[in-house]
Amino acid sequence: MHYVIIGGGIAGTTCAEELRKLDSASKITLISEEFHALYSRVLLPHYIKGKIPRERVFLKKESWYAEQQIEWLAGEIIERVDAKNKHIEFVGGGELSYDKLLIASGSEVKLMDQDLPGVSYLRTLDDADQLVELMRALPKDAHACIYGGGFIACEYLNIFHEANIPITLAYRGAHMWSRGISEEAGMLIKNQLVQNGITVIENAKEIECIGEKTIESIFINGQTYPCSLLGVGVGVAPHFSLLQESGIQMHEGILTNAFLETNVKDVYAAGDVAEFFDERFERTFITGNWMNAQMQGRVAARNMTGSHAAFDLVSSYAMNIVGIEIIFIGDTSRTHADETRLIGTVEAGGVTELFVRKNKLVGAILTGRNMDRAILTKLIQEKADLTDSGVVLPM
Amino acid sequence: MPRIRVKVDEDLCIGAASCVTIAPDTFQMNAENKAYVLDHGTEPEGSKYERWMEVTDDEMENILLGAQSCPTLAIFIFDEAGTQLFPDM
Repeated sequence: MHYVIIGGGIAGTTCAEELRKLDSASKITLISEEFHALYSRVLLPHYIKGKIPRERVFLKKESWYAEQQIEWLAGEIIERVDAKNKHIEFVGGGELSYDKLLIASGSEVKLMDQDLPGVSYLRTLDDADQLVELMRALPKDAHACIYGGGFIACEYLNIFHEANIPITLAYRGAHMWSRGISEEAGMLIKNQLVQNGITVIENAKEIECIGEKTIESIFINGQTYPCSLLGVGVGVAPHFSLLQESGIQMHEGILTNAFLETNVKDVYAAGDVAEFFDERFERTFITGNWMNAQMQGRVAARNMTGSHAAFDLVSSYAMNIVGIEIIFIGDTSRTHADETRLIGTVEAGGVTELFVRKNKLVGAILTGRNMDRAILTKLIQEKADLTDSGVVLPM
Repeated sequence: MPRIRVKVDEDLCIGAASCVTIAPDTFQMNAENKAYVLDHGTEPEGSKYERWMEVTDDEMENILLGAQSCPTLAIFIFDEAGTQLFPDM
């Protein structure tokens, strides 16, 4: 048996590790676009802030792959998957056949049209290294700007804020996560930003970078703002261009059933690239977070070795934004909810939005209300019926 | 049964809660959205980021899995002699 895994991130590497635990004899090949051994993307902000040394971001040593008898092909890009003949083709030539294939190729950052030195993205260790260098070279009167209203924008906010660099934050919506969170939650976050001295520009649909050799300013909504460093976080898109004409079904991600199997026999998907069917929430999801990717890598390995285990996880993601916490739990899609309910107020310093479907709590967004996390997670996990008088929601 | 010391570095913890998902008897989230350490679901001497506990081999494996799942490697496990079992040094 030859297992081939495309993607050396947390989903792919966890799958390889689990496969080796379950099957000591078969050949495992792990193909990674990056040259680095597995590292934690979540630790990159800690490294940039100087909280940990660079070597602490690595979760595996380079020697680990050989010790586990996992063939690790680093720095390789896949051109095409031929699911009919069960082989993959590399950019630059060469083919590799497989018996079972996992696609865990992750997602790619969306880039701005313009590129200038001083424009930063935050996805890979190389991006983090570049940001560290950029921050080291900043003049004393430097001013940082951030473009985006999601998780990556928050990381930049915390990084620049801790470094005591004045910040201008511009996002495209009326508030942070404008399509995702309530107006009240958006207001709470904005208040926190303003209280921390951050200049906030809303409805910034377009941004122009100005500068000759390096970025000097940005032009938004008719005004110019000084900018020595621009952090961009305008989203990611699943990375699956290699699957054109493969016959593997794709939507926003690679479609899989609850067992992480694609429509093509012996081809599986996991992590940020997978749009998996979630039995709990009865719909497909792309969940781009660490816990999800790691757990899916493990479940994929079990199913690739003959088990039949559905992936079941109430996923959550938490982020501290210069002192206020926002936590997403479960299915927080407004479109798929029958109703939403708001607990708390802006004045009281915290709001929790509940997402309800068929009288069951399916998701929640907590802004400044960490204390609701345990009880709401439990209610979602237990599929509790909210009409049941025994179910007590937070006040 | 092995006796171990489990510690959460609250400065590194970002509240991802993967440890809670895997080992809820050992880790829970507090009001600061940080994971703290329990001894078999109990909190003798109140909420703490570090405590000693006696565990079976199966429990040990699950706690290790919880520690390994932490994206910021904020969980440290030591044996009775004080040797760090995780993360690997």
